[in-house]
Amino acid sequence: MRTLVALLIFVAACAAIPAQSKSISTINCRAPKSPSGARDIAVALDKLRPLLNDKQRATLDRPLTDAAAIQWSNLPIGVVPRDGLRLGDLDAKQAQAAHDVFRAALSACGFLMLAQVRAADDYLVPFDKRPIGWHGGNYYLSVLRDSSSKGPWILQIGGHHLAYNFTFKGQEAGATPMFLGSEPIRFEVQGGMVEPLQAQSEAMSRLATAIAPQAKARLSGTFTDVVKGVVVTGEPGKQMTGGTDTGFPHSYPTGDTDRGIRVSALTPEQRALVQAAIATYTQLPDTAVSGALQATYLAPEALDQTFVGFAGSPDLSTMGSYVRIDGPRVWIELVVQRAIALPDQLHYHSLWRDKQSDYGGEVRR
Amino acid sequence: MRAALMLFLGLLAGAAYAHPAPNSTLRLEFRADAVHAEYWVPVSELAFARAADPAGEGFPAYLLRHFAVETPDGKAWRVSVERVREADYLEHAFVVAEIRLIPPAGATSSEFVLVDDTVTHEVRNHVLYVVARLGERAEMLGALQYPAKRLAVAAAR
Repeated sequence: MRTLVALLIFVAACAAIPAQSKSISTINCRAPKSPSGARDIAVALDKLRPLLNDKQRATLDRPLTDAAAIQWSNLPIGVVPRDGLRLGDLDAKQAQAAHDVFRAALSACGFLMLAQVRAADDYLVPFDKRPIGWHGGNYYLSVLRDSSSKGPWILQIGGHHLAYNFTFKGQEAGATPMFLGSEPIRFEVQGGMVEPLQAQSEAMSRLATAIAPQAKARLSGTFTDVVKGVVVTGEPGKQMTGGTDTGFPHSYPTGDTDRGIRVSALTPEQRALVQAAIATYTQLPDTAVSGALQATYLAPEALDQTFVGFAGSPDLSTMGSYVRIDGPRVWIELVVQRAIALPDQLHYHSLWRDKQSDYGGEVRR
Repeated sequence: MRAALMLFLGLLAGAAYAHPAPNSTLRLEFRADAVHAEYWVPVSELAFARAADPAGEGFPAYLLRHFAVETPDGKAWRVSVERVREADYLEHAFVVAEIRLIPPAGATSSEFVLVDDTVTHEVRNHVLYVVARLGERAEMLGALQYPAKRLAVAAAR
């Protein structure tokens, strides 16, 4: 029975995969995949390293410090430069080896997300020539590790609209913070439509639509971005600074006020929508990375204490539409914003944090 | 040099375009008997806040209903909005209020509690950053985001 439920959640999470361009259509998000775990990721990394020159190896392997760990952003690399091995610089053999690292660390859905988000950045290049850094090549791979081979280490994969931060041997399982974004929301590549966050946005929209008739589910206020995102500081007259995760640690809402509706008050059907929405995020990493977190979030007692709320349009059709899942540990939010390179369109920002184990608990709290 | 300047300007433009939800900044200059403040509020986010609180007054009156300063033990400072202007910063339009903050008799001007929800009473992701100007240098003193409305502020040393 448990297996059947897990299978149904996985299918819900990975359903509705769009028609894709040839370049990314070979990835079957529904393909079963055995959990690989830290050892398989380490093996894949060990196969990549000999293919790199000294300079590339130095960008891949860097010391684990708080400053290095929080170096991710929702801003393009022309605004917030990233460190790490730049994927656009890799030759064919190196790129294949890097893909093997991704396949070890990610589920099929997570791998597809990476490919499609990069494709979205490529799509923007002809529309915006400013030196902002749109380009699917501007995504990076890093391994952050202290001098002890037995200590915790973090695998960073990301760029403008994606940040995977997976911690191994940390104080706790670490699959967060995870940032996902997409501009445009959907786009055509070589005759096929691509929509990177389709599974997440549809699951969140189905949830918002189901709870919308209940007044308590509507959050007060306006949302023009995710609430617990990166910190961007602008002192007038100076260049904008920040853009990384310097707001960490975050304070989260407490009590019952303005957090939406408790899952314990939902119908079984609505509750299943919450589970499915959470799974669209927790099933992006490999099961070995986030399986325990998913089980923690979906445990009945945790789910009962989880709040779900929305603002704007439940169908996510308008700017400012917002959906949030706020549990004892899980924090997932998705917002619809004005697009940047294509300002007449909309785009998504979405964030998954764990209130206890961002960075595996390794970054100072 | 020119190329470097163009790149710099390009990055500034990019920074603005790449961040559609600008935040507010309160820039403080601590003086012996008062504090001078420049409050930079992005027009786009302020519009949401004022739409949710449509009293119809001018910006200074609106600001004075959402912005106050107190001593740590709760005595109100005198707050006067001396000038309001518009400015562009990183390609976003801002309303800039120049504010004079005067502590009550006997209170120091180097320490206070800021009470503010000018934008944050409505825009949930909005952040007010409070910075102190020390000559050419600036130091971050703190930040406010919903639901927080109060921030203890002390002059940077």
